[in-house]
Amino acid sequence: MTIAITGYAWRTPLGNTIDGAIRRLLAGERALQRNTRFPIGGYACKVAAMINDDPAPSSYQRFLRRMGLYAREAALQAYTAAAPTVAENRLGLFFGYGGLRAHWNDLMPGLAEQRSDFSSSWERGFKRFHPFWMLQNLSNNAHAIVAKELHARGDGLTFGGANAGAQALVGAIRSLKAGACDVACVAAYDTLLEPETLVEMAARGVVATDVEAPAAYSLEASGFVPGEAAAALVLERAENAAGQMLARIEARDTADGSADAPSVTTLESLLLGFTQPEDVIDGAARCDRAFDQRELAVLGSYLPGAALISTLGAMGQVGAAASLLQAIALTELLRRGVLSPVAALTKECASAVRPILKAEPTTARSAIGLSVGPPGLAGAVRLQLP
Amino acid sequence: MRRAVITGVGVVSPFGVGTSTFWRALREGRNAVRPIRSFDVTTFQTKIAAEVPIVHANRSWIEGHLTGDDSDLPFDRVLTDAEVSGALRDRKAAFTLLAGAEAWRAAGCGEAERNAPLVIALGLEQALLEDFSPVLRNGAVDWTDEPTLSLPRVRFRSAVDLPAQLLRALFGLKGSVIVNSSACAAGTLAVAQAAALIERGRTDVVLCGGADSMVNPLGIGGMTRLGAPSPRNQSDACRPFDTRRDGLVIGEGAAMFVLEEEERARKRNAPRLGIVAGWGSTQDAYRVTAPRPDGAAARAAMVRAIDKARISRDAIGYVNAHGTGTPLNDPAEAKAIRDTFGPHADHLPVSSIKGAIGHLMAAAGAIEIAASLLAFEADFLPGTTNHRQLDSECPIEVVGESGRSARVDWLLSNSFGFGGQNASIVLGRPQ
Repeated sequence: MTIAITGYAWRTPLGNTIDGAIRRLLAGERALQRNTRFPIGGYACKVAAMINDDPAPSSYQRFLRRMGLYAREAALQAYTAAAPTVAENRLGLFFGYGGLRAHWNDLMPGLAEQRSDFSSSWERGFKRFHPFWMLQNLSNNAHAIVAKELHARGDGLTFGGANAGAQALVGAIRSLKAGACDVACVAAYDTLLEPETLVEMAARGVVATDVEAPAAYSLEASGFVPGEAAAALVLERAENAAGQMLARIEARDTADGSADAPSVTTLESLLLGFTQPEDVIDGAARCDRAFDQRELAVLGSYLPGAALISTLGAMGQVGAAASLLQAIALTELLRRGVLSPVAALTKECASAVRPILKAEPTTARSAIGLSVGPPGLAGAVRLQLP
Repeated sequence: MRRAVITGVGVVSPFGVGTSTFWRALREGRNAVRPIRSFDVTTFQTKIAAEVPIVHANRSWIEGHLTGDDSDLPFDRVLTDAEVSGALRDRKAAFTLLAGAEAWRAAGCGEAERNAPLVIALGLEQALLEDFSPVLRNGAVDWTDEPTLSLPRVRFRSAVDLPAQLLRALFGLKGSVIVNSSACAAGTLAVAQAAALIERGRTDVVLCGGADSMVNPLGIGGMTRLGAPSPRNQSDACRPFDTRRDGLVIGEGAAMFVLEEEERARKRNAPRLGIVAGWGSTQDAYRVTAPRPDGAAARAAMVRAIDKARISRDAIGYVNAHGTGTPLNDPAEAKAIRDTFGPHADHLPVSSIKGAIGHLMAAAGAIEIAASLLAFEADFLPGTTNHRQLDSECPIEVVGESGRSARVDWLLSNSFGFGGQNASIVLGRPQ
């Protein structure tokens, strides 16, 4: 059974519209700026791929914070674009989120007057928490809001962790194939731009430290740009999608027990799960020289001659949202018949795959996107034009 | 047709460590709700919880509960790493390790099961308050020195998938790791997801379950501000389906299972505790903070689960209810049960164990599945602790406090989460 994408939307560091972000992707732009989300003076990692526009004003700001609001916007916009005809009890909703956002501003009324041992913590502040503070930090709050707004009463799952977007896609596709729902709205959101996340990633040496950050797949690659994004797709069984089909989609996820990124053998196993080799691959773009070179070697052996692009190299690593961003970017690029360059990459790599250095036309009809994250997680999407 | 059977179960409950401890306490009708001991609640409105009976769920506590020959699992290495990284400061991480190890061993798992995927329901990351102290200055978080603080001990919060990481390390798992974060429905959904992986031929063995703990200052404080817990600080505070119910009691713990393809389990003579026969999930799409009062979506989840099991509704012999003891949940669930089963509901035993062990949030569905297995293991239906006077708005056959002896072949367990995520699962007696 084939599953079709019939609508999508995103909020990305390269822009919040499909056209705007794709245009910048094709121009070879990279979302890379000094982090202005909070005072960054003492931090080792001072760069970020940030969404610079605030979420639209919403009555749901009582329940959702910034990334949840972006996810809501993307889900509603994608659904509107797809405009499916479906009974409420056959509309499924599948969300992936990267983790709890601490929302320091929300916590301050509770923390400001605490003692170091947090004795009498209720009287010293917790009693001043907003009554909805717990709801604002729940894992499935965006899911709940979107379910209400879309009247989605069918199958529903919320996934957590760095691979949650890929898993939400896998879950939605399985639900559609099993007949548990007729239309699935899949959304994922994540930000790595949190103080403690940046500190931890810098301590592990996996992030870029300044705006001169070398490109993914370059021999100088020394860390990825931490980013943030929200994205949503609407999926239907192909026979129901008719003229609305934008692309066919498959998704896979796996893990291998590694502490950080998975081994390239794991990437290879993901690729082997797809039955047909591709001409275009959207790489994981870890920006770790050793990992990148091993990834290139695997891709070269499995897909010799394939064109290599890098959505995540341009938009930053976006955790749980990665697979959805790749699915949208690849669909758009294939439909437009053009491939985007690996942002900031200026030289060919010694590999059997061919990194795109400048936007170029393509006749490819299908492509694969790979993403990785800790601990040992990997996701893959395959897109094929109808 | 491929089916998933439960071949191993492990529990850390407010009664203590171990499945036998849990089952024995349920059979004896005991109540685990008591004053919170793991942090200072002097000034908190909510002073009670169904707390796992340990103040510090640390390495020595875990090691104290390891039994038999532990050389088969690298506890020493995993606990050393967890201690260094501060992972065990998140109580649910410790619960997960013990429950997972019990399930793994009970099922007789070893090298042949290393490729098993892990599907686990987990609650919120625990905010680690002691780590805030160094950055709190003059009434604000001052990040100036934060980058220089001593990692990895300074965390501020645990990772969303921390317990999954520990389990994966303990068993050397090489398969997928799926974290279900669907609030209070997550535990049931994780077991359903695991069963689906087996039924669809994706794998023959899955380690699955749930773990959660909100028994910490922010968890108790946040839930209290939300108004969810009963305002009474008494051991009988949670009263499912009772006229006097006025809120839930927060619990903590973990329940883990090994699910296995039925024929594989039969061939290796593995214990078969229950068949995971059907499941269904729906969403209320109603309000963020309240369930649909007509129970329509909850009913739809039950109907889907029963239909998936390919049995008649009258074949269900017991319902383990979500039964939170809150004013809104219980009548909505009772209506959903009645609408699902019709006249059969007149004689269909329904119970909720939340009066005894509180609401384990993301782990609630998992531990309630573990409790439901008593129906097959001991022909015993757990009771509804603190249920004394049936609310007329809940017209169902509620099993009283002491439980009931009964032989049933099929049962259904419900979990209904925040935001209206509903999950039901049908378990069958192994043949």
